[in-house]
Amino acid sequence: MTASYDSQPSVQDAEPFFVGWAGIPARLGPFLGVVALVFVVGMAGASFLISATVNDPGDGTFRWGWGPQTLTGILTADPYPVLHITTPIDNRRISQGQSILLSGFGKRGVQDRAAALDGQLVQARGFLLTRGEIVMLQANGGADGLRAIEPKPDAVPVQLPESHPLGRWRIAGEICDGKCVVGAMRPGTGLAHRACANLCLIGGAPPVLVATDRIEGHQFFLLGDADGGPVTDAILNHVGMMIQVDGVLDLVGGLPVLRIDPVTLSLP
Amino acid sequence: MTMRHVPVQWNRTKLLYDAVLLVAVVTYVWVFIRVAPHYADTTRPVDDAILRMRAFGTCAFLMLTVILCIGPLARLDRRFLPLLYNRRHFGVLTCLVAVTHAAYVLSWYYAFSPTPPLEGLLRANASYGQVLGFPFETLGIFALICLVILAATSHDFWLAFLSAPVWKSLHLLIYPAYAAIVGHVVLGYLQDAKNPTFALIAGSGALLVAGLHLAARRSGHPRTTEPAADIEPGWVPAGLAASIPDGRARRIDLGHDERVAVFRIGNRLAAVSNACAHQNGPLGEGRVLDGCITCPWHGFQYRPEDGCSPPPFTEKVPTYRLKVANGMVYVHRTANPLGTPQPLVPLSGSDEEARS
Repeated sequence: MTASYDSQPSVQDAEPFFVGWAGIPARLGPFLGVVALVFVVGMAGASFLISATVNDPGDGTFRWGWGPQTLTGILTADPYPVLHITTPIDNRRISQGQSILLSGFGKRGVQDRAAALDGQLVQARGFLLTRGEIVMLQANGGADGLRAIEPKPDAVPVQLPESHPLGRWRIAGEICDGKCVVGAMRPGTGLAHRACANLCLIGGAPPVLVATDRIEGHQFFLLGDADGGPVTDAILNHVGMMIQVDGVLDLVGGLPVLRIDPVTLSLP
Repeated sequence: MTMRHVPVQWNRTKLLYDAVLLVAVVTYVWVFIRVAPHYADTTRPVDDAILRMRAFGTCAFLMLTVILCIGPLARLDRRFLPLLYNRRHFGVLTCLVAVTHAAYVLSWYYAFSPTPPLEGLLRANASYGQVLGFPFETLGIFALICLVILAATSHDFWLAFLSAPVWKSLHLLIYPAYAAIVGHVVLGYLQDAKNPTFALIAGSGALLVAGLHLAARRSGHPRTTEPAADIEPGWVPAGLAASIPDGRARRIDLGHDERVAVFRIGNRLAAVSNACAHQNGPLGEGRVLDGCITCPWHGFQYRPEDGCSPPPFTEKVPTYRLKVANGMVYVHRTANPLGTPQPLVPLSGSDEEARS
């Protein structure tokens, strides 16, 4: 049986002894004041450094200031609803031949309404979001947001947008939900935003690949599967991170569409 | 000290402590969302909701880092002991800050969706089999649950209800919670940050916590001397009686995590358990104030002669038998039942010498 003990008393004579309910000993006051000051100033300094050095979330934004916009064009439903503009709007913010991604309110798509309007001349109304070359319309609810219209008697017949093949590509970049990346959230990219992006995609938002390098002059690519259909379920595990993927690139109207082979999704 | 449980037993020290905490948190959030963004190099500003969730999230991380530094700092330098005194309020405030972070995340990233927020939180990212893209949110949820449990059981009612050892064990949850938060930060926010500032701050904080704990552990081993020879069974040596300063104690390690504190009160000695009945604080590092042994952590007091807190308080610590022979103190290994009166032993071993 052994035991051990401190060879010296545990407290030095000169040390003030703090008892909370008895107040702070006068000799400890200056030390604790410095500790409190260092804590407050240190927290403030850390806050400034962290907040002032955030990533640039880009220029994507809701164009609330433009007010609600009414667009006319041909709607294609696959792989995700897109409006190919036939009639430019007067303010020249949207030009003829431009292709506009479509979404509903919040994390919702417009597939249910778009399916019945595929290939038709459509009037779409809502608020625009823009980020560089990519534009989305958040369509109002019901027929006010999307409705088929009759072409004017003297207008040229409705024609589906032309598709120009741009070949097979392996593209590196980040898969994002098309709504957040275009400005619904800033930032709307990255792993911290991954769950939000997945909820948007599950809700019907179009997936967009943001390439690290421009391909044929484009940086944003609407994704579809090899047959030109939606590809949401196959990409959910790869959203928000840097990946590379193989696919066939087409320019449909004014929009680059990458029909991917999901099994080629990998880290670059 | 407890006579009856009240929500908070305020005193001036606690008010000052809480005021400093509130000033730090308010300043942190204000600088984060109102001042620093003006200096950020961004094309368009970060969303207000995202700024707020980042402000509260990073603030909670840094607060928890500071909280975990307090214990070892107080071990290494006793001037930091006052920071330990009201650390529970620090913890509760940290929990509130973390809950605010979670509320902003839920009401922004998981809102506006046909999927309910809580369901979305668990379902939206289910890539548990991969490191990159791992659902770091689950680590945050685990940490938040731990923090809520710790905050909810931080009151002395739970300490008395669960007993100090169980309560202390439960509150060791703070360590897995901190580890989970580090993982939450590393697998989430840090994966996207192009600027290393937060990585450096978070990494330094985590290293500081680990380093201070290691240093405190190393310094916490008692300096020992060999036990005296020819001791009777059950009696263990506790050094020279005269070398214990008046009003202070010497700690004796009995093995098996049992320690005794031998206090000198004038010309007499008393031995009590080294573990305070409140939070297992080190009584042997305390002092004798107003005739009572006083814990250095929260000021709980015990009478040397029976280990009981003075009325109306009800806490008790065990006393031990003592004897002095040839100037050496000996402690009996077996603790007395709680509340057992144990006469103080004269420093010299006999009452005649003690009176002289």
